[in-house]
Amino acid sequence: MTPVEYLAAALVIGGTFFGLVATVGLLRLPDLYSRLHAASKSDTLGSVLAIAGTATVLGVTTESMKMVFLLLFLFLTSPTAAHAIARAGRAQDVEPVGENAAWDEDEGGETQ
Amino acid sequence: MATDRGRDLLVPVGDSETLRRTVTYAVERAHESADSTDDPVAVHFIFPARWRIYETDRESVASASSLLERAVAWATEDLEELIGEDHPPTVTFESATVGTDEYVFSPGDFAAVVGRYAEANEVDRIVVDPSFRPGGNVPLLRSFEAELAERGFDVLEAPVTRRTSRRLPFTEIGLRELFVVYAASLLFYLALGGWHVTDAYELVTGVATAAVVTLTLARVSMKGELPRLRYVGATVLRMAIYTPILLWEITKANVALAYVVLHPDLPIEPRTVEFDAAVWGDMPVTTLANSITLTPGTLTVDVSRQHFMVHALIPGAEDDLLEGTLERFVRFVFYGRESARIPSPRERRDDEGER
Repeated sequence: MTPVEYLAAALVIGGTFFGLVATVGLLRLPDLYSRLHAASKSDTLGSVLAIAGTATVLGVTTESMKMVFLLLFLFLTSPTAAHAIARAGRAQDVEPVGENAAWDEDEGGETQ
Repeated sequence: MATDRGRDLLVPVGDSETLRRTVTYAVERAHESADSTDDPVAVHFIFPARWRIYETDRESVASASSLLERAVAWATEDLEELIGEDHPPTVTFESATVGTDEYVFSPGDFAAVVGRYAEANEVDRIVVDPSFRPGGNVPLLRSFEAELAERGFDVLEAPVTRRTSRRLPFTEIGLRELFVVYAASLLFYLALGGWHVTDAYELVTGVATAAVVTLTLARVSMKGELPRLRYVGATVLRMAIYTPILLWEITKANVALAYVVLHPDLPIEPRTVEFDAAVWGDMPVTTLANSITLTPGTLTVDVSRQHFMVHALIPGAEDDLLEGTLERFVRFVFYGRESARIPSPRERRDDEGER
């Protein structure tokens, strides 16, 4: 194996690890919002690392450029989707778990 | 007893997003008809149980009774708002679960169990929540209402609407904006195809595809005025500086989250943090919101203008947020180096507290 292939393998293994962390997080964390943390963070980095690994093997080609586009869009869409779900959860009065996590009574208007 | 007939109300209760306002509507109607006489009017909150869940499913029993409790609590609140706390109540509330001893499935079954309760309690006005789904997710409501009406009840559909707006996010755009969208789509198409700009096939399909994209999506992809080119250039340059920093932050976030998730004790500390960010405009606010979501233990829940509501999962995440590191970087990207040097959200909050 060439050094480039080692790098690619390391990236893909790292990506798989964070994908696994996202799955474990989804199963273990208690409520909608905490689970979104796992889904929006670990999942993004997991896919990003895996894609980066693939792009490394491909070198500078059209294909690897498409991978870069994929990375870009993942970084844009993943947090946006997480935010949309969290916001929908709040609009539907899904209360977060934890003493300090409860919303204030007023509808997100003014601060103190 | 006969005089009471026609004044009491019945509200079938189910988990729905418009239940809260349906309760308000029912209380208002009841209060209206009670106002003329001294006798209080009763509002019955009824949970029609489905599929004899009550025999086996403890969880459903608990959720049904908590839903009914909530409905009564809301109704009491609304009534106090109408008449004030000290006045004798004009409306009384009752709650019950019906249909627990039979298989309730079709709209007719639901109407039958609700109707039997209504007859037994001499109620003939029924307020129906438009989002009420008696059969789970299947939209049975229309025939449920029809079945009730057929049984001779007055069916009032509560005039509530869902909160989501159906307005399409279109903006008015001019030729310049149209051109920018067209150019961007064409360049993107050619780049995806491997940049064969000499290939006639690529060019023709690219021109056609970009035209379709522009005509269909230009009005949603642009918002407001186009910024000046020089400004865009500087922003893109500073964005290039910001990206590695953000990537590093994201990596840290993931290691921190992986530690918490894989730790046997699951040491999380969920809390909600609200603060006003010192950024303005759609792009900067969006960038900050997304950066917050991607970095250590924080998730943007809601943003209105520049007021952020953030869910923090791990200990220390709140401190990071209030230190304002990310906010500074976003300010740097969009407003330049000068404006990066401003007080952090925590300092700003302390200032406000002193005033």
